[in-house]
Amino acid sequence: MKTAYRLNRRRAMLVAATMLTALGLGGGDAAMAADQPLVIARAFDFNSLDPARGWCDSCQIYLTNVYETLVGLDADNKTLKPRLALSWEANAEQTQYTFKLDPDAVFSDGSPVEAKDVKWSWERLHNVKGGPSFMMDGVKSIEAADAHTLVVTMDAPNSEFLGILTAPYTGVINSDVAMANGASANEDADKTDTAEGWFLANSAGSGPYMLAGYKPDDELRFTANPHFKRSKVGISDVVMKHTKDAVAQAQMLENGSADVAMQIDPDTAKRLPADKVTTDVVASYNFIYVALSPGAKGNKVPLSKDVREAIAMALDYDGIIEFTVGGAGNPQAAPIPNGFPGTADLPMPKQDLAKAKELMAKAGQAGGFEIDAIFPNMNVYGVDLSLMMQKVQQDLAQISVKANLQPVEFSVWRTHISGDGIPLTAVFYAPDYYGSAQYVQYFAMSEGSPWWKRAGGANDSSITNTKEGELLTQALASPESAKEGIYHQIAMEMIGDKIILPVVSPNLVLAHGKSIGGVRYSACCNLPIDEITRQ
Amino acid sequence: MKRYILRRLVAMPLLVLGIVTVAFFISHATQGDPLVSILGDRQMDNPEVVAAARARWGLDRSLPVQYFVYVRNLVTGDLGISIRTKQPVTTDLMARLPATLELVIAAMLVGSAVGIALGVLAARFRDRPFDHLSRLFALVGSSLPVFWSGLILLYIFSVKVDWIPGPGRLDARTTPPETVTGFFTIDSLLAGDLGTFAEALHHLALPALVLGWAVMGIISRMVRASMLDVLSQDYVLAARARGARELRVLFHHALRNALIPTLTIIGFSFAYLITGAVLTETIFSWPGIGSYAVNAARNLDYPAIMGVTIIGGLAFLITNLVTDIAYAVADPRIDMQ
Repeated sequence: MKTAYRLNRRRAMLVAATMLTALGLGGGDAAMAADQPLVIARAFDFNSLDPARGWCDSCQIYLTNVYETLVGLDADNKTLKPRLALSWEANAEQTQYTFKLDPDAVFSDGSPVEAKDVKWSWERLHNVKGGPSFMMDGVKSIEAADAHTLVVTMDAPNSEFLGILTAPYTGVINSDVAMANGASANEDADKTDTAEGWFLANSAGSGPYMLAGYKPDDELRFTANPHFKRSKVGISDVVMKHTKDAVAQAQMLENGSADVAMQIDPDTAKRLPADKVTTDVVASYNFIYVALSPGAKGNKVPLSKDVREAIAMALDYDGIIEFTVGGAGNPQAAPIPNGFPGTADLPMPKQDLAKAKELMAKAGQAGGFEIDAIFPNMNVYGVDLSLMMQKVQQDLAQISVKANLQPVEFSVWRTHISGDGIPLTAVFYAPDYYGSAQYVQYFAMSEGSPWWKRAGGANDSSITNTKEGELLTQALASPESAKEGIYHQIAMEMIGDKIILPVVSPNLVLAHGKSIGGVRYSACCNLPIDEITRQ
Repeated sequence: MKRYILRRLVAMPLLVLGIVTVAFFISHATQGDPLVSILGDRQMDNPEVVAAARARWGLDRSLPVQYFVYVRNLVTGDLGISIRTKQPVTTDLMARLPATLELVIAAMLVGSAVGIALGVLAARFRDRPFDHLSRLFALVGSSLPVFWSGLILLYIFSVKVDWIPGPGRLDARTTPPETVTGFFTIDSLLAGDLGTFAEALHHLALPALVLGWAVMGIISRMVRASMLDVLSQDYVLAARARGARELRVLFHHALRNALIPTLTIIGFSFAYLITGAVLTETIFSWPGIGSYAVNAARNLDYPAIMGVTIIGGLAFLITNLVTDIAYAVADPRIDMQ
């Protein structure tokens, strides 16, 4: 009995010693070798890795780096640059585009990128009817004139088509490989394409990286595409690590277990040690807005133009920016992001309580009213919408408007907004590509636009603004040089609608380890990983 | 006992069917549309795209038809495809379950071992400084929110003193071991990779301590209360009178009888943590069932919600059965008929 006890004790001590040794082994913190994988800490929002079905910020990063588009966006976030297309030209009417593809471009399996692949990828993008399928709306035909020449004909003039092509969802897929794995570009692709599962474990692009592995809610691994020759890839292996919490992302940067994070809020960023982490705060193209729906069934009083203007003037825009992101953001005049075509010299919104009260009195609402405010309960781009709406509630109280705040899940909000409508709400928008037409199509009070419907245009025709649609048609038929002025006019019209009230464009914190360089924010593509280097 | 276990096992499928039925209709009765998470806000205004997506995910059928299709597939072991991850729910669950089990087992080992020891000693030294200190320790552990204690401990031990690595099951730069069990500690040992084993243990230590601390508080208080009852019994007095050593009296005579209510707590905590360790999993970027459940609920990912519900239900049913068997082992007087 005693012998057994001694043996057990010895065994226990051995196990303990092994455990301690093991723990000690794991604690080593060697200097980061130059060939170590790059680690990007990020809260994943992936909903697919299929270019025709993915629709999210993380998807933009993945697709940009794996599937090349024909056209890219330069570091100034304005200038188009060649990617798979070496050159392109549009006819005078902006209805036909001809692209000359790079004859040296190859997919990750070494096979050449040809016009047939582009045609197939874009037809599939449209026919699968996924999140980004609208990008091919208005495309009448796509023809491969020869192996490296592509001709795209539009139903109507569309000067924004080149901008759309910077969106990573338009990336080109190796059609032979994808078809062999269940993909289809046929008209019934929404029913017959079975490749989405295959895309979760494989990639078939010509971009700087290939998919090396993906575990939902855990990690996504890239490895350099050996056939990619357009530029030199900075770091050959990259791991995107799902890190939901901004504070955890900051801690990973601080202890060196992550190299890059771009979802850290400005307050947390201020506490990062400057000797270990570099933080660049840059203006983003994302924005948060308050929206009014005069046609919503829940309105207790008519949201006339005067009332809407009074509400717009009651908001303390500077205070909201200070309250939500500690001042790390910018006001925005119209529902087109600062820096996009047509936004130069727009009048920024200002609080004017005296004028707001005057307008309320003019509308017969001097005594105020109650308004239901249903909004998604989420923190987006560093802005907690619940906090922001509390500030909006305080501001509106100053003109005797009582906002009844009701935070809900996004999917529930979506049901409300497309059902009876929501009198007052708050939500966000991030660009899909560089170009202003997307905002006009979405936010303008043109009959049939998403926000015309949500604002209750069918119930309240007074909000319809036909001029915006006419100007958009002009802009889409205009060459680059003439677009700026037309979009400026549209922006002024949208400001006058007083339906969409942008309140803050939050800055973006690009945080990275000291040895990391080349981190930048792209309007179309979020984070071009191939440009990142380790010194 | 065999007949008892068999009877319980036979009843399990019926109980699971009940759970499935209730969960299916409750989850589908909530407001909201799961398609928004895959189509995006803009495309939800496109009726053609929405119709195609509804057809693809079977959401265009009536609710009773969806239910019967689900149950029919469930019988064959098919839990459907997750609307959010686009993978079979079974694949998702099998990928996450080992991560959760590894964390929860480690946390329960820490929580149970320390909790029982603290409870026994607190009862032995009743109303003395050790008792008060252990009460304070238990109180802090069970009342501190895990997201707070996790972040603070992570900051201290990972960032400030650099004893513990950052979040995750392994360093992001490390390639995980080949999957055999899904437990990184075991799989790395099976692969003979001591470095990865050490790293896996290192990463497991802090989340297991944080989660174990929360459980430890409840266990230690329960053990203390039971031990105080038992220590006043005649047979304990008799054991001491026979000259038995104090440690033997405490751990052999008294603890065995005081364990019955504690086993219930341990079993319940284990089953609860299978799906309930979500905050720890979030703070420590631990890809387990809890965070999967929350993402499923937030996105109204019906197949995933159902899958997690079934796992949670099974965890409770199996744990209850194991706890009942443990009763009989701990106290042979308990009749398992």
